[in-house]
Amino acid sequence: MNGSSALVDNIGASQSRRVFWDQDVYQLELERIFSRCWLMIGHDSLVPKPGDFITTYMAEDRVILSRQPDGSLKAFINSCTHRGNQICHADSGSAKAFVCNYHGWVFGQDGSLVDVPMEERCYHSDLDKSKLGLAPIRVETYKGFIFGCHDPEAPSLEDYLGDFCWYLDTIWDGPDGGLELLGPPLKSTLACNWKVPAENFVGDGYHVGWTHAAALQMIGGELAGLSGNRADMPFDDLGLQFTMRHGHGFGLIDNAATAIHVKRDGYVKYLEETRGGIREKFGPERERLYVGHWNTSIFPNCSFLYGTNTFKIWHPRGPHEIEVWTYTMVPKNADTETKRSIQREAIRSFGTAGTLESDDGENMSSATYNNNGIITRKGWMNSSMGKDREGPHPVYPGIVGVSFIGETSYRGFYRFWQEMLDAPDWAAIRANDDTWDAMWTNRNFWPDRLSAKQAEPQD
Amino acid sequence: MTETRKPVGMELHHAIVSHYSAEVRMLQNQQYREWFDTVIAEDIHYWMPVYEQRYARDRRPDPTPGDAAIYNDDYAELQQRVDRLLTGQVWMEDPPSRIRYFVTNVEAFEIAPFEFEVFSNVLVHRNRRQNEVYVHTLGREDKLRKTDSGFKVFSRKLNIDARVVQDKNLYFFV
Repeated sequence: MNGSSALVDNIGASQSRRVFWDQDVYQLELERIFSRCWLMIGHDSLVPKPGDFITTYMAEDRVILSRQPDGSLKAFINSCTHRGNQICHADSGSAKAFVCNYHGWVFGQDGSLVDVPMEERCYHSDLDKSKLGLAPIRVETYKGFIFGCHDPEAPSLEDYLGDFCWYLDTIWDGPDGGLELLGPPLKSTLACNWKVPAENFVGDGYHVGWTHAAALQMIGGELAGLSGNRADMPFDDLGLQFTMRHGHGFGLIDNAATAIHVKRDGYVKYLEETRGGIREKFGPERERLYVGHWNTSIFPNCSFLYGTNTFKIWHPRGPHEIEVWTYTMVPKNADTETKRSIQREAIRSFGTAGTLESDDGENMSSATYNNNGIITRKGWMNSSMGKDREGPHPVYPGIVGVSFIGETSYRGFYRFWQEMLDAPDWAAIRANDDTWDAMWTNRNFWPDRLSAKQAEPQD
Repeated sequence: MTETRKPVGMELHHAIVSHYSAEVRMLQNQQYREWFDTVIAEDIHYWMPVYEQRYARDRRPDPTPGDAAIYNDDYAELQQRVDRLLTGQVWMEDPPSRIRYFVTNVEAFEIAPFEFEVFSNVLVHRNRRQNEVYVHTLGREDKLRKTDSGFKVFSRKLNIDARVVQDKNLYFFV
């Protein structure tokens, strides 16, 4: 099938509403995106010791992530190779082995089949246990964040993150050890297509002032001026927006890392004390990122807000439902009190009862379900904001948009989404590595803008 | 756990159940400010912890207020949630949800002079928009203080039964 060109119009900056509704589109996503991309499955901090495990999902597939005796990680499909039952039903724990409830087959920490009840009497040495281990999954980590992938042809995780690593290093490596995830995850269902929250996090600075008007008014702080879109301010100089080769992207609000946190003394102090180290290690351009607020998605279904520090996985459950998992990111080397305070504030704003999160879920559900109407579904959605006010930047990798209120990274997300759906394999995707950003034709936008700025008289 | 404490007498038990009914009526009528001013004590800890699903043999301790929690609010934080609902800019509550509360299995014990520990079950039934229906069951563990202006809750622990919350959010008061 090669139907996605009918779903995304890169030049016109729009998407068919079918991308949020059609069962066949979803099926293709499972096969071509979720079976071939690196998917977020955990963090070192969630499985610190040998024997530690967590259960999670890759799309709708149940997965066990297990820390090995030698400290390495393995992941495998959480389904018995005998008759298919789910083997592990706990969220997390420590286990020497995983025993299926049905017939008692025993799988080791590495997923291999180690014991079968009454094997001699039942199978008479005819069972080749070495061929009946749990189906393994590729596992790689980047700065402690653990991803899984089903496609042996996929690039390494580092190549998949690609030019986004340059940005991620700022916070995931950080001044001295980077970030860790605090669980257990909050979990809730939301009746929406998985791409609605993914696109919202990748690039929607526009909704902040209106959707969250009440919360921003109540919280105060740096973003209070956006509440109800009342503030009369130029947006061009308040931040930037970025999109990458593989659809990852984020919006940056300058100097607003902790804006959503009410009780934030510890975190503000931590950032102030460490920003110098960032400048030294990564330079002033990334110090700017370090003290800014990011709304981010890692393609396809992992999102986070750096600064607010909520961390999300949107597990798809068919085209019209997701399971939302919410962790908190905290600096590994911050003191315990600061970590706890960050977690409280992150969940207070973007947890299941979050003061901002509860505004978003309603929109995401509505944006999905309105397309059940056949006439409605024939329409297209618009993501043209900031088009032509973006391009390659002399410092920042990827394509850079001029304002955090823009839709640059929407366009980049759907550009890659379409590429993944169209491509028969990763070789076809690699073939586009040098031309992926050809749709951004305003190549001189940033050079012109920066030299014009330099020519301005200084105060 | 075997309960060795003696429950409060009939009259006090009735007073506490009546207090809960009045509380529910305020919430159902969206009188959030009145609810907050009438029933919430200034030293409130309003807490809904996250319980993982773990094996019975798992010896890790239960969550503390230092761990991930859906609610973990003090007085000012709870007040902010009330304030937000009253800004007139919470679009998802306009038109408003219809929420019914059913509070049952009330058991009350005196833990100090004028202070009571009260266990109850709460069923929350939320109707939204044209046809959205959400149902939640919770165990509630309250600590109430009897004051001149009625009972005030100073500790409320909400144990939601669902591991995966079956709702788009839990932004309502229980």
